[in-house]
Amino acid sequence: MTGPALRIRGLRKSFPKVLAVDGVELEVARGEVFGLLGPNGAGKTTTLEIIEGITPADSGEIELLGLNWHQHAAEIRSRIGVQLQSTSLFNKITPREALELYGSYYPKSRSAADLLALVQLEEKADAYHITLSGGQQQRLALALALVNDPELVFLDEPTTGLDPQARRSLWDVVEKMKGEGRTVMLTTHYMDEAEALCDRLAIMDHGQVIATGTPASLIANLEIPSVVELTFQDAAPDPTAFAARLGQAVTCRGDLWEIPTPDPKALLPRLLEAAEAASVPFQQVHVRRATLEDVFLHRTGRSLRE
Amino acid sequence: MMLWRQFAMEWRLYSRDRVAMFWTLAFPVVLLLGFGTMFRDSGGPKLSVVRVLTPAPTARDAAFDQALTDQQLNVQLLSKAEAEARWSRGETAAQVEPSGDGYRLRLNSYLMAQGGAAAGLVNQAWLVAQARLSGGPEPLRIPVQVESPGHRRATNYVSFLLPGLLGLNLVSMGLFSVGMVNVSYREKGKFRRLAVTPLPKWIFLLGQVLHRLTLTILQAAILLLVGRLVFGIQNQGSFSLLLLVMALGTGCFMAFGFALCSFADTSEGYAAISNLVFLPLMLLSGVYFTLDSAPGWLQHTVALLPLAPFIRALRAVFNDGASLAGHGLGLGIVAAWGFAAFLLALRRFRWS
Repeated sequence: MTGPALRIRGLRKSFPKVLAVDGVELEVARGEVFGLLGPNGAGKTTTLEIIEGITPADSGEIELLGLNWHQHAAEIRSRIGVQLQSTSLFNKITPREALELYGSYYPKSRSAADLLALVQLEEKADAYHITLSGGQQQRLALALALVNDPELVFLDEPTTGLDPQARRSLWDVVEKMKGEGRTVMLTTHYMDEAEALCDRLAIMDHGQVIATGTPASLIANLEIPSVVELTFQDAAPDPTAFAARLGQAVTCRGDLWEIPTPDPKALLPRLLEAAEAASVPFQQVHVRRATLEDVFLHRTGRSLRE
Repeated sequence: MMLWRQFAMEWRLYSRDRVAMFWTLAFPVVLLLGFGTMFRDSGGPKLSVVRVLTPAPTARDAAFDQALTDQQLNVQLLSKAEAEARWSRGETAAQVEPSGDGYRLRLNSYLMAQGGAAAGLVNQAWLVAQARLSGGPEPLRIPVQVESPGHRRATNYVSFLLPGLLGLNLVSMGLFSVGMVNVSYREKGKFRRLAVTPLPKWIFLLGQVLHRLTLTILQAAILLLVGRLVFGIQNQGSFSLLLLVMALGTGCFMAFGFALCSFADTSEGYAAISNLVFLPLMLLSGVYFTLDSAPGWLQHTVALLPLAPFIRALRAVFNDGASLAGHGLGLGIVAAWGFAAFLLALRRFRWS
């Protein structure tokens, strides 16, 4: 049980029209919750599916639990758990049957009853899959990923499309997995999810890893720990002229301007004075600490949600 | 054990789709009842001939009509106008009409199979009628005996139909149901989750083959039961031989379906591909028309196709109660196709 849970070197994959994964290098320690954060189309899912053995890579090395796909495919499959981005099961299979059936494919499996309790799906244990809500189907997919008591679990956008309450309860399950000593690798495009769940994360964009570290260190490395926001009633006006006057970068996002700064105390008086002079019709001023969102914005010039 | 679970789950999920299951089991029965009732007492569909009425019928007309009926022809007496209207609609295959001092036989060039057969009988009836009118002896005919390849004479139409239905069913289940279900499930991503489990592909495929095999046997059992209860026909041969032939055929055509579906990405694509295989298989099987006049190379190629030897063996057992002694090569061809198709399917199978 030594060595990392996952080590990836020089991973590349291109599809006919797009270079999906462009030289990704990653290392995930055992027992860690590791996140791949990035906007849609960044190459997160392709990277994950290559690691899971679903999609073949063009080149690169993958080592899972000290094993590789060429020599140990069957053993890897029996020791990893996978939740796909969308898990489509037969319409008329029940959660209990699905867990028992998939469990039967593995040398060791956990009881369906335990797994149903873990994801709070006991009430729907014998309902047809097609009658489950989106959140319930997602929870079943999570339970299926744990059916073989895996050491390493992959979750592809586990909370996309869920309501806030369902997201919270999924986070709890991920915390439990970590508590049981499993290694978890997940993808997400929610920065709050990445901050709340992940010990470490890699930010991906255009098939490349553009930053790796703990959420705190990624934000600290920005050297702009704070952001001042000016909010407007409607769409914010063009900030170019104001930015020149202030001598500071101003980003316009929807109904607000964002001004990253290492020293909000010094900036604020200058800012208010300049706004007054230019009669900028803003409504409120907020000062907040920088988030992963700002890290992404700073590195790529684009927002995660775009 | 894994295979058994897979097989049991296939059955369990299948049996929840009540509508599909009902029609899969009921459709062949409906076909058998429909065709069987229509042609219950005859040796098969009767040939029809339209007889255009003469304005003032003579004794010769009456004798001719009687002779036509005696030839087992279905004679429809129509006025000139009615007959002409029917002819224009294209429903008439053969029409006898007065012409000058005698008669004329008109044949529909689109329905030559029925028309040609009717023409022979009409001419025979004409000879008989003339002999009867002149009081002379009826013309002597060469005795005709209808007999199956297994020398069984008393075959009625239903007992001819039943093994054909069994065979057709199984081919359509293999090429259409199995293939279509698998392509559409793959298209909807229902197999992707299986790709990350250690489930071997051969168990997944064989589980489905076994499920369909038992389904066809159930289907056959129901069809045989209805044939027996309603039409009083029964399997003349041994049930174990019948089961063997059915199992071999099911395996072969299921494997065909699996192999074919690896060539299609969408259900629409599969519909085209399966027809591309199904139509030549049916048309060249020798069931619909004989290939005696086709070029030699074509006949040799067609002899290697699996459908005809399978149907021959099925009829030999069911209708003639024969052993499979003469069918070794034919069934070998069926088995070889099945095995090759399964290997191809296994090799090309993909989860997504």
